[in-house]
Amino acid sequence: MNAALLDSYGTGDAREREESWRYSKAALRALSQHDFIDADAQASVSASLRAQFEWPQSTGRRLVFVNGAYSQTCSDASLLDDALMIEQASDRRVVLTIGAAFDGVLHLVYANVPGMQPSRWQATSEIHVPAGNASLIEQHVGEAGADVLGAIMTDIHVSARAAVHVTTLSDLPDSASLYRRTQATVDDDACYAVAHAILGGRLQRFDLGVELVGAHSRFDSRGVFALRGRQHADVHLDVRHGARDTACDIVWRGVADQRSRGIFHGAITVAAGADGADAQLSNKNLLLSPHAEIDTQPVLEIYADEVKAAHGATVGQLDERALFYLRSRGLPLEAARGLLIGAFCRSVFAGLAQTDLRERIEALLDTRIPAGGAGA
Amino acid sequence: MLKIENLHVSVAGKEILKGISLEVNAGEVHAIMGPNGAGKSTLGNVLAGREGYEVTQGTIEFDGKPLLALEPEARAAAGMFLAFQYPVEIPGVNNTYFLRAALNAQRKQRGESELDSMQFLKRVREKLAVLHLKDELLHRAVNEGFSGGEKKRNEIFQMALLEPKLAILDETDSGLDIDALKMVADGVNAMRASERAFIVITHYQRLLDYIVPDVVHVLADGRIVESGDKSLAHRLEEQGYAWIAERKLAGAA
Repeated sequence: MNAALLDSYGTGDAREREESWRYSKAALRALSQHDFIDADAQASVSASLRAQFEWPQSTGRRLVFVNGAYSQTCSDASLLDDALMIEQASDRRVVLTIGAAFDGVLHLVYANVPGMQPSRWQATSEIHVPAGNASLIEQHVGEAGADVLGAIMTDIHVSARAAVHVTTLSDLPDSASLYRRTQATVDDDACYAVAHAILGGRLQRFDLGVELVGAHSRFDSRGVFALRGRQHADVHLDVRHGARDTACDIVWRGVADQRSRGIFHGAITVAAGADGADAQLSNKNLLLSPHAEIDTQPVLEIYADEVKAAHGATVGQLDERALFYLRSRGLPLEAARGLLIGAFCRSVFAGLAQTDLRERIEALLDTRIPAGGAGA
Repeated sequence: MLKIENLHVSVAGKEILKGISLEVNAGEVHAIMGPNGAGKSTLGNVLAGREGYEVTQGTIEFDGKPLLALEPEARAAAGMFLAFQYPVEIPGVNNTYFLRAALNAQRKQRGESELDSMQFLKRVREKLAVLHLKDELLHRAVNEGFSGGEKKRNEIFQMALLEPKLAILDETDSGLDIDALKMVADGVNAMRASERAFIVITHYQRLLDYIVPDVVHVLADGRIVESGDKSLAHRLEEQGYAWIAERKLAGAA
């Protein structure tokens, strides 16, 4: 099972896959002790789970996948028209083409519904943005119960001069694990901008590969993981500047409390000939407990001339001076910690254009931020 | 209100305060002066409950109750306030949100009802006016991007808002121009009351021209070496702290 998981999860040859799963091998091994059966595509979605994704703002533009399979009953596509082409090759494979005339934000929901015993599902999607400016929300939710292991392979293609903004919000119970592998190609003058919040989950692995193949193409990435308990998140970004005057700007933050484990791997490669590239990567982390662990690896490989590049990564603790300042004004320790951690995470999303979405992420962060039982 | 007896405090194994006794009654303003490294800020920090200060001997009573066992937030709720020498910048934490949360946390601790945002804002407006602070500062993050003078005035503004029983001003005058100094003094004087006390820690006598103290103490090398009325501050200004060093030598001999 372990070997099989590694075969289907991750890119590159066996050695590369092995290496990229270095920090998550134990978590993966623990998961592979389970005997998984195929997850039920027809599983019913409870009202409380629905409440997590039935946002008034996305009414009529919501596509819901239950255990990886498209669910007509849960989706609400009433406002979708020809501007969005949905092609379904099978119930666990979907191809979306978002036309320039598409208006509003498309909400994709992946719901993990457990069965009586551990189950797994795998889905693939293709997203094409041939023109215009598309906005997507990709949300992952789950019901607590028996283990569910989901895997989604996504290909995104942003054509010349198009722009796509994707916000992914993955908020899972401790019994759900998720592997996401997203591969994006960005053409001339196109822009791919993503914001990610990774909360909860037993094991969340996220591989994002971005190929800046077109001149003047751009990739922006903002992300946060906030973990506690024995949660485990492993983020791998792999950006390749393959053309002239391409830019990437990556800002990620991580918070780990209790016995959780976070991994951030950010690799940027500037290929020969990709002159004028501008590559920025910043990763800051907060370690809230002596039993938590965060590993961060920024990797920069440059084969071109005339490149502007900067990268930095830190792992630190809460600022004791700030904590004392807040407490000296009367804020209890837990409230003061929560305020500082919240501010640390929120700063990443400060620039997010969709205000309602930012507020939603912030509210979620507030409930997921480790406040009580500091360092336990 | 505050009773310190034979207080010894060490920081990282080094003794900084070497037996301080001090009694401050409600309605009084005490000034603590002294050269760099005398232990003035240590005293303020120990009173507010900062970590890293080890009390090796002595007791502190605040309002008749032992203070040292209390967490910083409990001291604040009991009426202790420290205006920081170096106010901390806290990016991402909104000033208004923080102040309201702090005030309501204190009120809750004391069994008082929490203020709603209307009541809170009314109180904020009143206090802002006294310190000539711009409304705009409230919408920023705590102390972020504030000038040195704004930070110090913000400390006094917080004090005005929280209405403590005992306020400790740790070198609030340092780095202030004369106008800001006057505003700070006005803010403090407006709060002087029979049920409230102040400890004003400063290097210079100038602040004490505006906030006139009842008692002046000179702290040197971890001890209070001299106490007197406000004229003591003037003598220090004229003769410098070297004069104290001589007295200390005389005392030791």
